[in-house]
Amino acid sequence: MTASPVMRDLVQCLLTYEAVAGKTSEPVESATLRVYEKLRQSIMAFAGIAGFQSLASRALVLARSETPILNEAQVTSDGYLLGLDEVEPHIDIDKDRAGEYPAGEGGVILTAHLLGLLFIFLGEALTLSLLRDAWPGATFDDRNSENGRKA
Amino acid sequence: MSTQEKVAIHKLPTGVPGLDEIAGGGLPEFSFNIIAGAPGSGKTTLAHQFVFANATPERPALYFTVLGESAIKMLRYQQQYTFFNPAMLPGSIRFINLSQTVLEKDLGAVLEEITKAVEKANPAVVVVDSFRTMVRKQESDMGLQSFIQRLALFLASWQATTFLIGEYAEEELRDNPIFTVADGLFWLRQTAERNSIVRKLQIIKLRGQDSVPGLHTFRITNAGVQAFSRTFGLSGHARNPSSHRRLSFGIPELDKMLDGGVREGDSVLVAGSSGTGKSVLASQFIAEGIRQGEPGIVAVFEERPQAYAERAVSLGLDLETPQKDGKLTILYLRPLDLSVDETMHSILDAVQKIGAKRLVIDSLAGFEMALSPGFRADFRESLYRMIFALTGIGVTILSTVEVIESFTEFPFSTYSISFLTDDILRLRYVSIDGQLRKIVTVIKMRGGNHAKDIREYEITSKGLVILGKRMTNFQGLITGIPVHSDQSDSKEEPSQKPLTGNKP
Repeated sequence: MTASPVMRDLVQCLLTYEAVAGKTSEPVESATLRVYEKLRQSIMAFAGIAGFQSLASRALVLARSETPILNEAQVTSDGYLLGLDEVEPHIDIDKDRAGEYPAGEGGVILTAHLLGLLFIFLGEALTLSLLRDAWPGATFDDRNSENGRKA
Repeated sequence: MSTQEKVAIHKLPTGVPGLDEIAGGGLPEFSFNIIAGAPGSGKTTLAHQFVFANATPERPALYFTVLGESAIKMLRYQQQYTFFNPAMLPGSIRFINLSQTVLEKDLGAVLEEITKAVEKANPAVVVVDSFRTMVRKQESDMGLQSFIQRLALFLASWQATTFLIGEYAEEELRDNPIFTVADGLFWLRQTAERNSIVRKLQIIKLRGQDSVPGLHTFRITNAGVQAFSRTFGLSGHARNPSSHRRLSFGIPELDKMLDGGVREGDSVLVAGSSGTGKSVLASQFIAEGIRQGEPGIVAVFEERPQAYAERAVSLGLDLETPQKDGKLTILYLRPLDLSVDETMHSILDAVQKIGAKRLVIDSLAGFEMALSPGFRADFRESLYRMIFALTGIGVTILSTVEVIESFTEFPFSTYSISFLTDDILRLRYVSIDGQLRKIVTVIKMRGGNHAKDIREYEITSKGLVILGKRMTNFQGLITGIPVHSDQSDSKEEPSQKPLTGNKP
């Protein structure tokens, strides 16, 4: 099962926000890891550590079937992602050039699967509410949804 | 101290249709409540309805989940209900998972987590689901009591209305310190009766509120929990004063037998065997009411509304036009697992919607069959409550009941419910001159000087028509097998002319 283009677009949107925000914060982490960490915090708050860990592990398995770059990555018992940093380059994006440098493929696929699982279990409305809470400045609309795509 | 100086307890809407009325107007603000019951009884759904009805961005709801149902799955399922508004998450409703704290730490740490979250969010509503999973941890009784006490005090001080949700069995109700601390205790029960599930809700206690005691039916639909008060939501209504107005059947001779008609607000029972014209009489009663500007409701259980209206056409009665004009509602109630309370709810809704003055229940046998087997045992008692409630608001009820024709007895009803009715009309077959003919008599009429006559009638294209002669030339008519008396002719009543079709 491959990550849907809709989810990948949504991840790119989140990465862009994070990359821009990351420019002014220290230490510099990969945008992918920051997106993952925000999702971890957000999901863990209501689903618990075990709830998030289960979802993330499932997302990783799905992502590995798509790209071997994630073979070394793993989700710890408290939901942290290990191994991604080593296989993906740090991305330092200039605000004016945001979006020109997409994050590593592995991170995008993993996060897209994680969001895909949220869409499956919680639905679009609840998932987007959750994302809006984690990224207050970001706008997510129907363009990111299956419905939006069809429209 | 005057009443003006007393503290006013603000009541919050429960978000559960029917429950506000049962709770005595709503849930007391800042109260500490427990929702208890078996798995699958609707505890979480009820709590969610309360949360969605009361949470705001300024005063959000904090929903703590502990061990048990996965929060993700809970949200997945709960959002199927129509009351679930995803836009309220997480701004107005925040789900917080305490599983790890419960698993790894003690109740003190749980309290600390709750305290931190409450102080940060300033919530109006706090839910702990399932509280019971915390209690199962190895804690001393004193530790548990202390935890509950501190939690209740803290949340009340923070002006939060609280629900603890727990899976409890009936026998755990006694001597439980948790229940002593709670201001409100909501118990949800569900039992399987033959092929049906019967759900009942009881407010065992609710401090500061005049809640309706007893067990109340509730149902879980895609709209969530819906409760049906035993008092049908009419507990606050004063009974209408007795009316002396008479309601006509539109059958002059029958009205005369009833001393001018049925007294408004009465409960009338029309009893007879199959084919005697009970439904015909009921249709005429409703049609005459509409003709006189009194909207009506017909609750049918044995045939579809369309068929009911079409049959009325053959009697010269138009029940289609008043339906279109909003003066008549024909309710078809036959899902086979209803409670009387739910049926009543449908009927009351219809009564209030069109301002109905007359109600026909056709028939009681069909009504009983439409009920879940578990509710049939309470049929008489439920019927009593229903009739009392409806006649109390001035609705005149005509119920039909089929009786098994006996040629040695003269039963009025198989339900022993004649005490519930003010008036009883009995229709029956009699065998006369090689024909199966029909007679009607008024058995009982509270507050009225009804005729003692036994009259013959026919069902014609104009409905039930009473023939002109009082049947004086027979003895033993009510046995169904009368014998000719010595009188050679029946008496002609001076004022009673045959309406149609004299017997040959």
